[in-house]
Amino acid sequence: MATHKFDVVVVGTGPGGYVSAIRCAQLGLSVATVEDDRPGGVCLNWGCIPTKALLRNAEVVTLLNHAADFGIRLNGFEASYPEAVQRSRRVADRMAKGVEFLFRKNKITLFPGRGTLKGKSVVEVKGTGGAETLEARAVILATGSEPKSLPGVTIDEKTVISSNGAVRNERAPKSIAVVGAGAVGVEFADVFASYGVQVTLLEALPRVVPVEDEDVSKELARTFTRRGITLKTGVKVASVKPGGPGAVVDLGGEKLEVEQVLMAVGRAAKVAGLGLEGLGVQLERGFVKVSPTMETSVKGLYAIGDMAGAPLLAHKAMAEGVVAAEAIAGKSPRPVDYGNVPSCTYCRPQIASIGWTEARAKEAGREVSVGRFPFTASGKAVALGETEGFVKVIADKATGEIVGVHIIGPEATEIIHEFAVGRTLEATLEEIIHTIHAHPTLSEAALEATLAALGQAIHI
Amino acid sequence: MAVTKVVMPKLSDAMESGKIIKWLKKEGDRIQGGDILAEVETDKADVEMEAFGAGVLRKILVPAGETAAIGALIGVIAEPGDDIAALVASAAGAGAGAGSAAQKTPPRAELARAPAPAGAASATASAPRPAAATPSAPPTPVARPAAVVGAPSAVPAGLGQGTQSGRVKASPLAKKIAAQTGVDLRLIQGSGPGGRIIRRDVEAAGSGAAPAIAMPAAAAGAEFEDVPLTQIRAAIARRMPLSKAPVPHFYVTSEVAMDHAWELREQLNTLEGQPKISVNDLVIRASALALLSHPGVNASLQGDAIRVFHRAHIGIAVALEDGLITPVLRDCHAKPLAQIAVEARDLVERARNRKLRAQELSGATFSISNLGMFDVTEFSAIINPPEGAILAVGSVRRVPVVDESGLGVGRRMMLTISCDHRVMDGAMGARFLQDVKRLLEEPLRLLV
Repeated sequence: MATHKFDVVVVGTGPGGYVSAIRCAQLGLSVATVEDDRPGGVCLNWGCIPTKALLRNAEVVTLLNHAADFGIRLNGFEASYPEAVQRSRRVADRMAKGVEFLFRKNKITLFPGRGTLKGKSVVEVKGTGGAETLEARAVILATGSEPKSLPGVTIDEKTVISSNGAVRNERAPKSIAVVGAGAVGVEFADVFASYGVQVTLLEALPRVVPVEDEDVSKELARTFTRRGITLKTGVKVASVKPGGPGAVVDLGGEKLEVEQVLMAVGRAAKVAGLGLEGLGVQLERGFVKVSPTMETSVKGLYAIGDMAGAPLLAHKAMAEGVVAAEAIAGKSPRPVDYGNVPSCTYCRPQIASIGWTEARAKEAGREVSVGRFPFTASGKAVALGETEGFVKVIADKATGEIVGVHIIGPEATEIIHEFAVGRTLEATLEEIIHTIHAHPTLSEAALEATLAALGQAIHI
Repeated sequence: MAVTKVVMPKLSDAMESGKIIKWLKKEGDRIQGGDILAEVETDKADVEMEAFGAGVLRKILVPAGETAAIGALIGVIAEPGDDIAALVASAAGAGAGAGSAAQKTPPRAELARAPAPAGAASATASAPRPAAATPSAPPTPVARPAAVVGAPSAVPAGLGQGTQSGRVKASPLAKKIAAQTGVDLRLIQGSGPGGRIIRRDVEAAGSGAAPAIAMPAAAAGAEFEDVPLTQIRAAIARRMPLSKAPVPHFYVTSEVAMDHAWELREQLNTLEGQPKISVNDLVIRASALALLSHPGVNASLQGDAIRVFHRAHIGIAVALEDGLITPVLRDCHAKPLAQIAVEARDLVERARNRKLRAQELSGATFSISNLGMFDVTEFSAIINPPEGAILAVGSVRRVPVVDESGLGVGRRMMLTISCDHRVMDGAMGARFLQDVKRLLEEPLRLLV
């Protein structure tokens, strides 16, 4: 069994792991990575990227369905779901290869296999070619998370599927129940509905996308309902049993017969089998407890990304990866500002938000002014034929601090960053309104909503 | 390199220096932004001092029991690998440059080398250092009282005594909060990238900005005892001449028939589940309402302009063992009597226990001083600049009164308002007082 020495070993090559490995290499450290799947982790292979490919397909299908609105008459068209999945696999493959290329470019050694801590600075890798031992000054754990289910509901990835199964589904079912109306749930609901699947979206809380601002939930519910998606909020799934066309979902009285059930009820950190117990690494509510520089309770052992706690977002993992790498290299990185992580959902209309919801701000006793601007009043949105949604800006009444921004509508996930930058620089409403926004753009809606918070909106 | 200088923060309006009561962190402790580093005695209250930067508390330069001018380096937070020798040496050098006083003083670096948990304070207290050994405090001009406080632009160009260059690097939000709370950005150490001042730095620095003058040195004598000025006494000693001499006071006195108010108050106080109302609460409420209709009294001279406030933030003078403190009850005009009663009681209690937050000590637009409990018929108070007026309240006395029915017994109270003649005239003060009197004599108006 060979022993290799590195400055840093990164276990897991998802967005947290590969970014931290590259940053370590940039800082002159020798780096090894360990991966038991393909480089890129869930994000590139089974999550963010392939689902964005599927959502693009859904968008194209929807657009073709509305071709007549643009004066284009089609004599019917065929949208092949298997080919959409194949396309998404090609996209994922390409991105995963991109990670391998970046590893080579930065002289990062990839050890395929399962990594286990044998000491705080020793990682044993069990791969197909036998076991190897890696020794390092510092170890970064970035093993990510996996889909959770509900008690008594077993995911078989055939009838009862998780997001992992959903991106591999080779054909679209006739009907599906999506359990959980968070980001994953509403994105798949969008994809399936666009391909003509009978979708029922189930949510235990009183509204869809429950972590978003209430106005956003209302708007999404309105557009989803209009598109023929059945929404059932405030419902508890009592059981999922085989039957009917595939499964019977018991909602405590009402029974739902569907071909497939997608469990989208959240994700759990992958912390088992890593050897954490032996080292006495402290956990907190199932996640690894870390310091502001991402160090665990064991010195020299770092944890980043989903396994290190909420929010479970790829971009938060990347930011943490940079912090961990710089801390190991002896820099003094600025800790991640968890209050300023944008949250993006890529259903149609898209949803993006940053900071507090209006309800949260009021709970905190903040006196706020709220500005809203609907995309129906945006020239660019009307030209695109994408007028659903709005930009909502919540600001501190006294100082103009941008407390929160909530966008639902076309390219919401791109527009949000102007506010992310603004908040990082501690800009107030005034700096945004004194920034000239090009016309016509969707970003003008951001400007107008900001003006509206000051009672100065021009175009409504 | 993330070396964070820990400087004596400006924690209240009139603060010029602060005394470290005790360090809550010791050298070698890991610090995160927001940790409470030390307790500081200011001129007004004991205040907790927050850390701005993260790292290890490498050096404590001013041990417990000693005083430092605002802006003076009192400690260093850095990572273990960071070289802080130059910074520490510069502080020591600055100390040595302070003149003869410094010769009796061991170099700061040595003082600080002893690990200084709270218990070690006695070891260093044997080498007391005069306050003059903190020369890094910026010399602030004396003769610009009003212009500094809450000036619309928080970044006066070309001043910058506290920094090497005149430009103050601060975020827009930090500038806005500083302008609203009267914090002088030049005195703040920024914790953002490149020392940029961000919101939390301003909030940590509390509020207020006031002119500074040198502390008068206490003379020593053999035949009598010199009681050293407490911080609060020193502040009063400095501030009051600054008010009485340059602010031309005039006084207007009026007698108020308090019979109805007294009766109403007794009725209110029999209501179950309602807070007890004091005479002073009635006076606060009456003043707040009158200030709204007489904004000219709710005003402050700001250089070449008179700033008229649309909100009544009323300072309530509270007597302490060793002095006087004036916590501020904000937005009195918008608060019903019961709320005023509850909040005023809370402020006064916390003022007596020295548990006030820094922001509760500044921003008053008007003040009320009540010596009623000392059986005082009437008195006049000194205006607390930059406010434009202060109301002095005497006792409610039972006195013989003559009305249509003849001689009887009534309850009377004397009110005296001291006004800044630069801001208002006698008639204005009199009309205001008339309104207060009417509100108290027809006290149901205080409830509607």
